[in-house]
Amino acid sequence: MRPEDHVGHGHGHLVTFDPTETEPDHHDTPPTHGRAVRIGIGGPVGSGKTALVAALARSLADRVRLAVVTNDIYTTEDADFLRRNAVLPPDRVEAVQTGCCPHTAIRDDITANLDAVETLEERFGDLDLVLVESGGDNLTAVFSRGLVDRQIFVVDVAGGDKVPRKGGPGVTTADLLVINKIDLAALVGADLGVMTSDAHRMRGELPVIAQSLVHDPGATDVGEWVLAQVGAVRAAA
Amino acid sequence: MPSLATLVLSDARFPGGGHVHSGGLEEAVARALVTGVGDLGTFLHGRLRTAGLVAASFAAAAAVAAGSAEPCWAALDAELDARTPSAAQRDASRAQGRGTLRAARASWPSPVLDALVAAHPRPHHPLLVGAVVGIAGGDPVEAAQCVAYLAVSGPASAAVRLLGLDPIAVNAAIVAMAPTVDEVVALAVAAADRAPADLPAPGAPMLDLLAQSHVRHHREQVRLFAS
Amino acid sequence: MRARAVLAVERDTGGRCVVRELRSESPLSLVPRRGVAGALDTGVTVHLVGSATTPLAGDDVELDVRVGPGAALVLTGVAAAVALPGAGRASTLTVRVELDDGACLQYLPEPTVVTSRADHRTLLHATLHPTARLRAREVLVGGRSGEPSGRYAGTTRVVERARPAPGTTSDRVLLHQTQELGDAGLAASSAYLGGRRVLATEVLVWGDDSADGAVGDDWSLTSLRGRGSLATAVGHDAVGAQRALAEAVAAHPGWTSTVLAGAERARPAPPPHAAADESGRRW
Repeated sequence: MRPEDHVGHGHGHLVTFDPTETEPDHHDTPPTHGRAVRIGIGGPVGSGKTALVAALARSLADRVRLAVVTNDIYTTEDADFLRRNAVLPPDRVEAVQTGCCPHTAIRDDITANLDAVETLEERFGDLDLVLVESGGDNLTAVFSRGLVDRQIFVVDVAGGDKVPRKGGPGVTTADLLVINKIDLAALVGADLGVMTSDAHRMRGELPVIAQSLVHDPGATDVGEWVLAQVGAVRAAA
Repeated sequence: MPSLATLVLSDARFPGGGHVHSGGLEEAVARALVTGVGDLGTFLHGRLRTAGLVAASFAAAAAVAAGSAEPCWAALDAELDARTPSAAQRDASRAQGRGTLRAARASWPSPVLDALVAAHPRPHHPLLVGAVVGIAGGDPVEAAQCVAYLAVSGPASAAVRLLGLDPIAVNAAIVAMAPTVDEVVALAVAAADRAPADLPAPGAPMLDLLAQSHVRHHREQVRLFAS
Repeated sequence: MRARAVLAVERDTGGRCVVRELRSESPLSLVPRRGVAGALDTGVTVHLVGSATTPLAGDDVELDVRVGPGAALVLTGVAAAVALPGAGRASTLTVRVELDDGACLQYLPEPTVVTSRADHRTLLHATLHPTARLRAREVLVGGRSGEPSGRYAGTTRVVERARPAPGTTSDRVLLHQTQELGDAGLAASSAYLGGRRVLATEVLVWGDDSADGAVGDDWSLTSLRGRGSLATAVGHDAVGAQRALAEAVAAHPGWTSTVLAGAERARPAPPPHAAADESGRRW
């Protein structure tokens, strides 16, 4: 698909990814040379994945060439949320249908997501970064290494301060764990100290960032981590 | 005995993107045409006898073509398009073909796949499945069985997810269709050596309608399945 | 009964469409009429008339239709065909259509009612020049009121002749589809007729197609690969299905613009090439 085809696309919302695209592909296989770094953002329902993606899109838009794949648009309200809150133009956001199985789409059968990433890479030949937001799932849902280069797992204080202690592959193996909505900790009776120390204990050397998008709408720390990963993956390639 | 390739291709865990396609079932559920295991069986029967027969016939023909010196991929591609009047269904078939191609290239690399892709960069799913079965040494019967089964197993799985049906009852409903599957496979295999223009072409008016309707709703209100 | 019929329509040097050849035999009669109200274009209108009870088992009817360069033909029925049972043999109707450069055919037979013990087969094979236009309708009614459907299988194949230009080497098939009645399980399936009795389709290879198609509760319009569209409607009775089919056809941009242009001018423009061909001969 050529970019100009998409500009005039008649969709009224962000669901621009059509896995049933008529137009023949210009590439049979993803371009390995200079392909975008792919970072997955997963975590339970309501932990703030979409808000984090919107924050990163805002704060990184001037620094990297960025696009987003979302598995999480079940309603037009969600689509509108991203459209209103992200500075990305709609054609930089692709949505995939997951057939009611968000974890399958990011882990067991990544076809629809690969199609979406490649569609974006074909549309914008010079992307640095593609953020892949998973559908809200449980603590065991992680991204396939065939889909993303790095992954962020997002939990929030309102989900209960025992979440990091419960572990699961998301908490223990993600390249970055984000503890979100820390401004709510007092309101929901969550002990932030317990959460962060549990998280570090479960994750060893792997990093943990506690943040509040209310206090820091640009998700500065996470943004810096993401930029560092883009550099690291590019350097290793 | 079926080849390993056939078993792998018909496995729901095969990473070819099949799990995001419902074969019209999601729209049928949205229209309350399918509400339980009983009317799911009726839906699947119609799908198998029509779209399933077309797909199985082209898969069987592709398995033959994979072993031939001059496979007629372009003609098979064009004739399958002509038997799929719904643009949405043509696109769904090509989307699954593209996904299957990605996995097939890693597992069964072959110049046969290159020739198929040269005819169209997004090969139809039945052609790709038939070609892979042929590459792996399987016969047209296996190719037809695999595709006929997928024609019902995909929508059946979608029904379990969308309606919360008892998966054990749905599985039994699929198995109860064995005579129809055998019938469809026999018809497909009998046609496999014919010229592409002479392959079976049963239409499915409601499937076409549901596929087009799905696309419209996909744009107006997001659906959970791609087709 | 075995019958062979031939109909050839051309555009004469004065720009009028004329019947060049017309042969028909019982049970199929072809009756030309000029200036039928409501038909688009000032082409020729020919009525298909069943002169004996047909189709009856064992009937084998073939009709060859040729429409010459720039000519227009409306081929229409005057009454519903009722496929009736007989001595255990199928009845067949084969219609072959050849449309030349800029030719137009509207093939609009009346509904075919497939009575309970009938076994009827049809084939419509149309070959079009890349500039030709075709509108072909089929309305199938599974059984008379309160009666189960007999057996029916009808195949439509539409092929576009390769352009005589470098790079295109073969004809391209636009549509190949077989519709079937008489299988109760199939008719009941919501993948097929969803319990309805009537299936109506119209092939439109007629100007612009809508890439996205259109859809209603019981009809759809979808664009074929390459060129052309297929309108499909289902209904519990012929009136309802034909009404739904008309909605689908009305969503087709090529057909709609023809209707609008026809209403404006009430007479057809000559086809773009019609002023003179390469040899300088005037149509």
